[in-house]
Amino acid sequence: MSVKDPITGGSGIGFDFSNHARNQHLGARMGGLPKATSTGTTIVGVKFGGGDSGVEEGVCLGADTRATGGPIVADKNCEKIHYIADHIRCCGAGTAADTEFVTNLISSNIELHALSTGRKPQVVTAMTMLKQYLFQYQGHVGAYLVIGGVDNTGSHLFTVAAHGSTDKLPYVTMGSGSMAAMAVFESSFKEHMTRQEAIDLVARAIRSGVFNDLGSGSNVDVCIIKKDKTEMLRNYEMPNERGEKTRQYKFRRGTTAWTKEDVRSLVVSETTTPVAAPLAAEAMDIS
Amino acid sequence: MPEAIQHRFDPYSSNGGSILAIAGKDFAVVAGDTRQSEGYSIQSRYQKKVFPLTSKAILAVNGFAADGNNFVKRVKQRLEWYTHAHNKEMPIKSIARLIQTMLYARRMFPYYVYNVLAGIEEDDGTGAVYSFDPVGSYERETCRAAGAAQSLLQPFLDNQIYFRNHTPAPGQPPFDPSTHPLSTVLSILVDSFSSATERHIEVGDFLEGYVILSPGRTSDDLIGEGVKGVLPEGMTVEEQDPEDLDVQSAVAGKGCRVFLVRKELKRD
Amino acid sequence: MEAIKLGSTTVGITTPHGTILAVEKRVQSTLLETSSIEKIMEIDSHIGCAMSGLTADARTMVEHARMTGQMHAFTYDEPIKVESVAQAVCDLALRFGESVDDDEAMMSRPFGVALLIAGVDEFGPSLFHTDPSGTFTRYDAKAIGSGSDAAQTSLQDAYNKNMTLDEAHRLALKILKEVMEEKVDENNIQLAQVVRAEGSKEAKFEILSGEATKQLIAAM
Repeated sequence: MSVKDPITGGSGIGFDFSNHARNQHLGARMGGLPKATSTGTTIVGVKFGGGDSGVEEGVCLGADTRATGGPIVADKNCEKIHYIADHIRCCGAGTAADTEFVTNLISSNIELHALSTGRKPQVVTAMTMLKQYLFQYQGHVGAYLVIGGVDNTGSHLFTVAAHGSTDKLPYVTMGSGSMAAMAVFESSFKEHMTRQEAIDLVARAIRSGVFNDLGSGSNVDVCIIKKDKTEMLRNYEMPNERGEKTRQYKFRRGTTAWTKEDVRSLVVSETTTPVAAPLAAEAMDIS
Repeated sequence: MPEAIQHRFDPYSSNGGSILAIAGKDFAVVAGDTRQSEGYSIQSRYQKKVFPLTSKAILAVNGFAADGNNFVKRVKQRLEWYTHAHNKEMPIKSIARLIQTMLYARRMFPYYVYNVLAGIEEDDGTGAVYSFDPVGSYERETCRAAGAAQSLLQPFLDNQIYFRNHTPAPGQPPFDPSTHPLSTVLSILVDSFSSATERHIEVGDFLEGYVILSPGRTSDDLIGEGVKGVLPEGMTVEEQDPEDLDVQSAVAGKGCRVFLVRKELKRD
Repeated sequence: MEAIKLGSTTVGITTPHGTILAVEKRVQSTLLETSSIEKIMEIDSHIGCAMSGLTADARTMVEHARMTGQMHAFTYDEPIKVESVAQAVCDLALRFGESVDDDEAMMSRPFGVALLIAGVDEFGPSLFHTDPSGTFTRYDAKAIGSGSDAAQTSLQDAYNKNMTLDEAHRLALKILKEVMEEKVDENNIQLAQVVRAEGSKEAKFEILSGEATKQLIAAM
């Protein structure tokens, strides 16, 4: 029985390296292999509530929305908070393709896991699956993640780095804007915050990345996860709205020069003449 | 086989940002953003890259900031020597040639700097833009963008200023790049930089530059009532007192008027 | 200074249309090939000079002036001003005596020659006089050399600011005729001019040909 690999769709297990030698050769001749889009990013997470504060415990995640390719902004409003399960979400930094793929893969596997166990998956399970997968590829899968969620054992917040190492902390940041965001957390974090305090702090940390880190920019996405409710606050803040241009850039019809004009009719009209009248039984062959 | 690790002194870095200059019939505009960066970090949100040299020539410098600042300092020193030796202000054509010789003198250890010089030509009063590569190849042009976002700005200028890929309407005369009014040029400048800011991470914070008006120019001036039709929204303008300008003017310029223009850009 | 007083008479006159130079060539012998006496030299295409005194010294100065002119055009993409050339020549004139730091070889004595530097630049026609002391002075008209006292007096009387180029040439010839012992002909004098041609941006220096000189003498 042949097993389809879930990653490559091929018959082997894991990535397909059959083009490696060819690509190295091409890279040497073309002056470098193509560069992957990187989400030079600010992503953060904090835990809030819990303890004897009387505030329901939960996790608040945040991300900016800029995607870059080198110094060029590839997407001004991308989504970096990925779905893992209803009660687990994951912010991704690093190589865009890797973060997208790896969160999708783990989301899928978590769903299968839930189906097979008949239980709500735990956040540590998702985290463990991610780190094992990333460790297997020795850092070549460039995903830097902040994973947070609430399960039966409480609220959880982790970071996972590309080589597979993980951290478990009450407040975390990752991506190129991690220092800017961490500066905010280090100066203003407190335990057992209210939901709104957590959102405000996360938004401030992301804004700090947006304005002080060139790799981060545009808008602030926020996600609040509590036991029974996950809220995705897409574009929670938009501090960088596009201004209007001073001129109109409409071109006169006929601006583009042409060398040849060739007009063809693409409408094909044909008349069909039935050879014989269709049989009543055939025409009504509906049962 | 593992290659030997070589350690090499690398004195250069790139500090992002972009500059742009456009010459009109009887004016010139030159501007740049004021962000200075290294890698993903902002070193300054307001660092000048556009410097008045004389009462009718302004130099924009982009690339490696340390080299740029030092180069401007040396050019200014040479201009001062020149006024002392020859008792006149150096014409823009001569400044252009001087910059070439100064850059080429460092052919084997170049200033890592892209220069764009703009101003008013001495003999005919036309707007002039001269652009340079780091080792001194130079050319007079109608417009030029340089720096981090050159690849975003220059094609836009080619299309809007030089009318590249525009076919005139039937029966209309061919387009002439030297006939753009000042209001159009300022609009194109502002739109260029707001767009570069949106799509290039190293461009942003502020736009700052100068408008130099040829002596005898009267139409749509940047002062009084004329401003309304000329200045794009959000742009501020200040006329520069020739006395306040840090310029060499042993002989007063023949009435060129210089205006400082500023506009905010996005900060992300 | 004494060498100049003994030198051949040299005259320069500015007009609104250009500047002219005239020199006396001392023909010591009938066997002398007069065309080999070179007392007017080109410095740049728009500047020339005439000399009086130890003409061999002038070669060094003209060489320096030419170099300065070329360097200026190369560095600034514009013709050098006449005054700047005069300044450059005078800077050189002071480089005699002991050198302070031993690296530069210095000249043993001052130059024994005076120059009349004539040219047309962006500010119009001009004439400068340089002497061995390293001083330069601008003149509308100036005579140097052995006959300079008489010649300068004549210039004083006859010069006016709106002379034509032709009148200037004739005045120069008249003065040379007065101070020279032998009869003036195209072999014992030399004439030159720097003129901006009508409608042209650039001025041109030229030494007048024997034929042109002959015609001017005849028309006198």
